[in-house]
Amino acid sequence: MFAKLQQAFWKALTPDLVADEPAPYTSTLQSAVVAALGGASNLKSEQRVALTRIRVELNDTSRVDPHALRLAGVPGVMTLAGGVVHLVGVND
Amino acid sequence: MVTTQQLELLAPLSGVLMPLEQVPDPVFSSRLMGDGLCIDPTSQVLCAPLAGVISNLQHTGHAVSITDASGVQVLLHIGLDTVNLGGQGFTCLVEEGQQVVAGQALIEFDADYVAQHARSLLTLMLVVSGESITDVSGGEMLVEAGQPVLRVGEAAVQVSTQQAPSQGDTLFSLAIALPNPNGLHARPAAVFAQAAKGFAATIELHKHEQRINAKSLVAIMTLQTSHGDVVQVSATGEDAEQAIRVLSDLLVAGCGEAVTPAAQVATETTYAPAPEPVQVDGALLRGVCASSGAVFGQVVQIAAQTLDYPEVGAGEAFERAQLQRALLEADTALDTLGREFSQGPQGQIFSAHRELLQDPSLLEQAYPLLASGKSAAFSWAAAVEANEKVFRNLGNAFLAERAQDLADVGQRVLKLILRVEDAVQALPDNAILIADQLSPSQTAGLDTTKVVGFATVGGGATSHVAILARALGLPAMCGLPAHVLSLASGTPVLLDAEQGELHVRPSEAAVAALTAKREQQRVRQARDLAHAALRADTRDGRHIEVSANIASLAEAEQGMSLGGEGVGLLRSEFLYLERSSAPSHDEQIATYSAIARAVGPDYNLVVRTLDVGGDKPLAYVPMEPEANPFLGMRGVRLCLERPELLREQFSAILASADLTRLHIMLPMVTQVSELRLARQLLEEQAQRLGITRLPKLGIMIEVPAAALMADVFAPEVDFFSIGTNDLTQYTLAMDRDHPRLASQADSFHPAVLRLIATTVKAAHAHGKWVGVCGALASESLAVPLLVGLGVDELSVSVPLIPTIKARVRELTLKDCQVLAQQVLVLESAEQVRAALQPSHAANVAHSLVLEN
Repeated sequence: MFAKLQQAFWKALTPDLVADEPAPYTSTLQSAVVAALGGASNLKSEQRVALTRIRVELNDTSRVDPHALRLAGVPGVMTLAGGVVHLVGVND
Repeated sequence: MVTTQQLELLAPLSGVLMPLEQVPDPVFSSRLMGDGLCIDPTSQVLCAPLAGVISNLQHTGHAVSITDASGVQVLLHIGLDTVNLGGQGFTCLVEEGQQVVAGQALIEFDADYVAQHARSLLTLMLVVSGESITDVSGGEMLVEAGQPVLRVGEAAVQVSTQQAPSQGDTLFSLAIALPNPNGLHARPAAVFAQAAKGFAATIELHKHEQRINAKSLVAIMTLQTSHGDVVQVSATGEDAEQAIRVLSDLLVAGCGEAVTPAAQVATETTYAPAPEPVQVDGALLRGVCASSGAVFGQVVQIAAQTLDYPEVGAGEAFERAQLQRALLEADTALDTLGREFSQGPQGQIFSAHRELLQDPSLLEQAYPLLASGKSAAFSWAAAVEANEKVFRNLGNAFLAERAQDLADVGQRVLKLILRVEDAVQALPDNAILIADQLSPSQTAGLDTTKVVGFATVGGGATSHVAILARALGLPAMCGLPAHVLSLASGTPVLLDAEQGELHVRPSEAAVAALTAKREQQRVRQARDLAHAALRADTRDGRHIEVSANIASLAEAEQGMSLGGEGVGLLRSEFLYLERSSAPSHDEQIATYSAIARAVGPDYNLVVRTLDVGGDKPLAYVPMEPEANPFLGMRGVRLCLERPELLREQFSAILASADLTRLHIMLPMVTQVSELRLARQLLEEQAQRLGITRLPKLGIMIEVPAAALMADVFAPEVDFFSIGTNDLTQYTLAMDRDHPRLASQADSFHPAVLRLIATTVKAAHAHGKWVGVCGALASESLAVPLLVGLGVDELSVSVPLIPTIKARVRELTLKDCQVLAQQVLVLESAEQVRAALQPSHAANVAHSLVLEN
């Protein structure tokens, strides 16, 4: 009885006895994105929000280059009041 | 219903289009409400996609429906879970009942506020009246508000919500107070309407004087219900009675939303009474990690039900029949459960339970008791208990945990004898289940989408909870102190399985830090998945082949679809594990060919020959028990002792030679003679089959002897693949499942890494490639190290393929090589891990750490 049981459970048990979860990451903006936002000096803060967005605060929103952002893999950009810019569609 | 063929819907917002199936909310992605599209907005005014009447405007301003003259209904839903904002951030510019023109502004919203306070801004436009749609957005990712994006086609007959007048009396349900925190908003309304559509009867939902068609999502939303509102269901028609019963139950249960459960839940698992909750704010309870991860949630205590039964029976024949009926029913139920969960480990657990049930030894003990006049329940319970004791007293941790499975099967049969019904327990969101033990049957009935973690007093690393938690990817802890059971249900706790800690009522800062970390990880994983098809090349162009570790055809297919470049390890022994007899030759050919076709001619398929032995018994390969199976007749040793087994397998594998880039790999090779013998068998077999183009033949490097002699093996193999799990336990002489040594049996130990370095050097000197197929390859932290050591291929567990590929793309070979050399001279696994941590961050290279 025991041998049979052990065998029946083996498949459920073996493949993942050693945890192989990926270690956590610190993800920050790509250099091309920073450049398209007017460079590091223009950036005051960055924060991931609402699953698909990065909310950045800029000193000067007129320095944002939407075309360069698109090339850097940020599909949408939304300029808001107070120097706030949302980089939209960035979960992919 | 007649619809205008050419009705076009305009984009209600500017923004980035997302396919509906990618929306992270099953009610939308499953198209339960209707087909449509999703926009991640870059504008802040929602405009009418078509002309019509505002048929519903939610008070909270986050959702609006428009019905046009031909009956087409379009629902616009701004953001996910935005109902929770209670109207904050939204300004309605129109009123219910108002006629609007296409393009007219409907709702203005504060995108920055919503983005920071709701789950998402993803906005849905869905045709909820059942018509089909065609995408006319032109395939662009970006859309402008007012641009035509969808064309509405014909109404689908089967989803019509029109109700023909039904004959018969109208039945009413009891009055039901809605348990949903935000009433029947879009999500629960969709679930309810969908259920109502399943009945032929005319069904209406009543609130005060209002009554609406309960089969229409929009109509339900027009009721503008909120928490505690009293509603009634009425039904007219032949299945009215059943409809009332089902729909009432659904309303009480929250229509798929987490709600505070009703007071009496007559189920196997009930909320345990907590008369004296432990007041331990910020207290810390310690346990053992059973599945890694960390999560914040609320306590849900799960208590097992105790069953009462008489000892004396009502006659042997009667009681015997009772027991047999219950056994038969239990068998059927387990069979059903096994099918239901066929994709996960639970399915295998249930089939194992079936085998337990069929074991004659339980009946052999129950029958004499029946004969002595005891009741069926008593006899069965006694037999189960006696066997449980045997299991527990065997001095084997693995079997001791199986006592729990036996108890579970026992309880299942007992309930069937006593005709005690099971019911599914309603759970709140973010439930962290706390129990003495959780049995497979208990967890099978749980809504695992609500569960975020497990914590138990009993159990260990191979207990059911641990298996389930790992399969679900949820954190779990075992071995907590018993007073964890007195925590009140609903208590906020932070479960940090990696640290083995359960924080009771954690500080806000601790929760916030955890939430941020999890969100980052989640976003990261989603991005890796989207990029899964990209090549895994380092920044300076070194290609690393990332392939899949598989044990079935399904995994092969999944691995390829997740961007795997072939299969680096097919564990062939798993293909027939449940078999009591050897599979036929044709059967084996069919299995290998199907996998080979899934992999295809452009990629490698590495088939490892049967890796069985005393530690991994295979029913049709009978073996004498060994005192130390890990040092016994395992892998190629067993196969060479029974060459007919190996010949048979070779010839089955060889049948796939033309379907893929076929590789054969021998496990547990220690001696060069083993390799030569196996090669001879392979060549003979190929000759017999008339195959001239031999598959590649390689060996696993998992015994230190093979690693140290890699320069001797290298000229005679086509490739090496390093099995880090076994290599680690043999190098360090530590069982990786040993309760006290497991944490030290770390593949990052420099001794193991040096053996990997030796192997790679020897292989490359002879122009052979080296893969790593052990768990180390699946660890993100190890990737720069393995790349730096010169490994050519990483064969990883299927779900991690995108992650590992993404990790490779961030690296620079040169940096990795420097890192590897530094790490090889360290003293311990801890030092290696520490050395890898900073590089881990720094290698997310060219990124800026910004000050906030």
